[in-house]
Amino acid sequence: MTSLLFAAGLWLALLWPLALALRVPVRAALASPGHSRRLLDGLWCTAPLPALGLAMLAPPGQLVLEWWMLGGVWELDGLRRPLLAFTALLWGLAGFHARGYLAPEQARLEAGDGSAGGRLQRFALLWPLTLAGNLLLIVAEDIASFYLGFAVMTFAAYGLVVHAGTRDARVGGLAYLVMAVLGEGLILAGLLWAAGSAGTLTLGGLREAIAAAQQGVWMAVLLWLGFGVKAGVAGLHLWLPLAHPVAPTPASAVLSGAMVKAGLVGWLGSLPLGDPGAGEAFARLGRVMLVAGLLAALGAALYGVCQRHPKAVLAYSSVSQMGMITALVAMGLIAPMAWPAISAAVVLFAAHHGLTKGALFLGVSIGEHPPRVPAWLLWSLLALPALSLAGALGSGLATKWAFKSPLYESGHSGVVAWLSLAAVGTTALMARALWRQWQSGVQARRDGLIPLAGPMPLAWLGMLLAAGTLPWWLPLGRPAWPPVDELPGLLWPVALGVGLAVAAAWAARRWPWHLHGRLPPGDLWWPLAAAWWGCRGRVQGPMAWLGETRAVLVACLVEGERRWKGRLVAVSRAEGWLRRHAAVLMMVIAIVLAMTMWGTA
Amino acid sequence: MTGAWFPLAALGSSLLAAVLIFMLPERAFRARTLLNLGAAVIKLGVVAWMVWGLRQGREYAVEFPVMEGMSFVLRADALGIMFAGLSSLLWLCTTLYAIGYLEDSPNRKRFFGFFSLCVASTLGISLAGNLFTFLIFYELLTLSTYPLVVHRGTPKALAAGAVYLRFTLSAGLVLMIGMVALHGLVGDIRFGEREILAELGAERHPMLVTIFVALILGLGVKAALVPLHGWLPRAMVAPAPVSALLHAVAVVKAGAFGIVRLVHDVYGIELSHQLGLLHGLVAIATVTILYGSLRALAQQELKPLLAFSTVSQVAYIVLGVGLFGPLGTIAALSHLLHQGLMKITLFFCAGNYAEELGIHRIDDLDGAGRRMPLTSLAFTVGALGMVGLPPVVGFFSKWYLGTGAVQAGMPWVIAVLVASSLLNAAYFLPLLHRLWFRPGPDHGRGEWPGERRLGRFETSGWLLWPTLATAAFSVLAGVLAGMPFSPLEWATRVAIEEYLP
Repeated sequence: MTSLLFAAGLWLALLWPLALALRVPVRAALASPGHSRRLLDGLWCTAPLPALGLAMLAPPGQLVLEWWMLGGVWELDGLRRPLLAFTALLWGLAGFHARGYLAPEQARLEAGDGSAGGRLQRFALLWPLTLAGNLLLIVAEDIASFYLGFAVMTFAAYGLVVHAGTRDARVGGLAYLVMAVLGEGLILAGLLWAAGSAGTLTLGGLREAIAAAQQGVWMAVLLWLGFGVKAGVAGLHLWLPLAHPVAPTPASAVLSGAMVKAGLVGWLGSLPLGDPGAGEAFARLGRVMLVAGLLAALGAALYGVCQRHPKAVLAYSSVSQMGMITALVAMGLIAPMAWPAISAAVVLFAAHHGLTKGALFLGVSIGEHPPRVPAWLLWSLLALPALSLAGALGSGLATKWAFKSPLYESGHSGVVAWLSLAAVGTTALMARALWRQWQSGVQARRDGLIPLAGPMPLAWLGMLLAAGTLPWWLPLGRPAWPPVDELPGLLWPVALGVGLAVAAAWAARRWPWHLHGRLPPGDLWWPLAAAWWGCRGRVQGPMAWLGETRAVLVACLVEGERRWKGRLVAVSRAEGWLRRHAAVLMMVIAIVLAMTMWGTA
Repeated sequence: MTGAWFPLAALGSSLLAAVLIFMLPERAFRARTLLNLGAAVIKLGVVAWMVWGLRQGREYAVEFPVMEGMSFVLRADALGIMFAGLSSLLWLCTTLYAIGYLEDSPNRKRFFGFFSLCVASTLGISLAGNLFTFLIFYELLTLSTYPLVVHRGTPKALAAGAVYLRFTLSAGLVLMIGMVALHGLVGDIRFGEREILAELGAERHPMLVTIFVALILGLGVKAALVPLHGWLPRAMVAPAPVSALLHAVAVVKAGAFGIVRLVHDVYGIELSHQLGLLHGLVAIATVTILYGSLRALAQQELKPLLAFSTVSQVAYIVLGVGLFGPLGTIAALSHLLHQGLMKITLFFCAGNYAEELGIHRIDDLDGAGRRMPLTSLAFTVGALGMVGLPPVVGFFSKWYLGTGAVQAGMPWVIAVLVASSLLNAAYFLPLLHRLWFRPGPDHGRGEWPGERRLGRFETSGWLLWPTLATAAFSVLAGVLAGMPFSPLEWATRVAIEEYLP
């Protein structure tokens, strides 16, 4: 009975968003012309609720579907449950926010603006579709379902990124799509190679196969990099700072909060983390991952503080945070024994970053449309998630302690020091983001206030609350709080970061650098794109030459054929001549024969 | 003895339809339509019955001697019936589509007559029980498709037809020489009698390799293996339903199916492996896959793009044949069906765009998703399937090819697969972007090249419903891949029979 209930709940959680997505075109087809309805209505906002209910209430369980693709196995276990819970909650609140955020487009639609209507319809359709993919990839234990969820999420989210339809949005969308496709290719290669070598169809089998296979470490590299595109590993993060600022704010929130975590889910599902029999090669890979993670954590912070757009700063902060998560995941390969404790911390970190980053992104749109509340209240509320992300309070503090203590216990205090340094960077990034937000808020006040629709502040407050109280409600066991004498060790990076930020702000006011002009968001994307166009120009010459050579070859063959045909025609002409002159020829031959006979006689 | 009637009935239904259509006058539209659809439904029913019966262990075969040591054999085995099922299902869809497509155009009698003949030959190819029977229908297919390719009668069409005949007839000759040589060596070989060649001594092996090369050359032209693919992009001048049929079921598939038969049922996979022939197949397939994708990338028009995509995708089947091991075989057999479903959808869509909006060039597609949402949805399904994304069937072919490559000890094939996926994405995703995300005439920007309002929906129902049906099949065959009678499950059965003696 419980298994039946579980199956029903799981199906409902996955199909409900799909049904809501389907409802959009159906309603559009049935609607009488000239009459437009509210697209993002209350029902639309309920898309992730069944999933949230499932994550919070359902018992652990497994659903096996033999008829589904290559054989479906969907599961809800200890690590999947908190991931599902925070993902669903984030999507729900961001969706509610979107209702208010896109209200001006709805108004334009009702005023008869066709293009706004088309875009809004696309958003209303693709949002729940992306959500369904995200949920499926979390619960999937079989590889095919996981890849399906990953692909659906990746490609449906493209529509969310390019929603605005501006030139910047197209560049952001292109960067997103190019990187996503490359990532999919790497993932596919890793999955096929690993699954083929062991003949397995589930992620659990995949982990064992990779640990056991002779070239397992290369499979792991492929998967690490493939999922790393999504998770923003250093060098593969190019799309994040380009796509985030251009996407509608609620979409940025889920992009940065939930979808980036799909890369983490992929790592947790496919890499042999915490497997003591995995061997030395994997430990080496872990060290590479650790370095890459720390590089991203620090480098993104340095680059991010030079950005102007608050959402670009937040995007670099996501790269930096995901770098820290990468470093922690790497510990699963370096120190397998410590992994059970670290894995819980990683999931807590993911949930904390997801919701807090969601609150920060939603805060950006609140800052652009400031509500009529005292400024001190608004700005202290806006600063709360920033402080939490820096690790000074709430879920941030709990997270920091959660990974710090197992790292100390397993004797990796060096990693802790680096992560603390990254936290300094995070603090500076948060200060920069708030500062840029303040300035754009001032600008917005000067331009006249845009009306703030009711759902926006409500969703934002909800997100603040959810992020702040995360350790108490997340189904991941009771949180451990740091003892008081550990607090200075946890809080010094925040103090240092604030100090540095203040000093830098003072210095920048004194000697304006205008770094942001020289350091555009998307860093490596621009030189790479230029190199690509250069290469294309160079390749076109040889390609054209190949085409010409082929044309010459074909012309030669055709010419040869024509010549042979000409010879055949000549032969048949000769034959005709022979036919016409047969009598004369016979006579000649007869005469010649007769003459030779006479001669011999 | 009742088993003999079913293959004959399946073959006869389309042959008879062809004869009757030629006898009907040109203007008998209703009778012709009825005849076409009736024959298609009957054939589908007969083939479905045989599929069911085969599963129950019944046998369907008929044969009679033509001369000493050579017989005409029709036999429904698991592999053949798979191809027969595909051709009869897609024939029904294509017939519906063609009726709508050719409405009010001249020479419909000729078209539908040869159309039925073409399907009859495809069915004959699928049910042929030995190389002799196979060759008869293979040549009949060449001859019956020529009038379809040149149907429009334009100079361009006639030139393409000449190229087509030049390629296929010379290939048919090479094929026949190879077949005669094989016959001279060991006599008549029924498909499935693999032990005959396997028992030949090692001194015959060079001869066997030579014959194999000749046969592959003969079959490779129809299967459009590089460098024998030149006719295929030219043949794009044919009407859309013909292109759909050519690419998805009839000609290209006949070549690929022939290669499957040759390797699995004449030489046997063990012997082919032993002779090192599979490596050659993998090499040719790899080149073809990459070359086809690269050429597709450079196309400006929709149908040539799809043609080069076919060149690349059909080579997946050959690649699967070349991978020694059951997974590779499953990939080859299932892709035979999967590619058909996806490619026919794409061609139907291309035809819809051309008929309804006059779109032939890729850059005219901007914003077509708003004007023709269902067609564009079907196109999206087909394109994503070609890229290899689940739940469309293309993913499953790729999955088995990749895992099969590891099983066969050639993990580098995965790199080819991934490269091909990326190239597919590089030429299909921009199309999807144009369809859905670019503003077009329906957003008030520019005009469609030649808009006609053909029906109550976005286009004529005759054109729309078959397109949607094949798109739905492409998704359902993927989502329900674990169900009995799904292409994948059937391919698995055939492969297991092959590898377990």
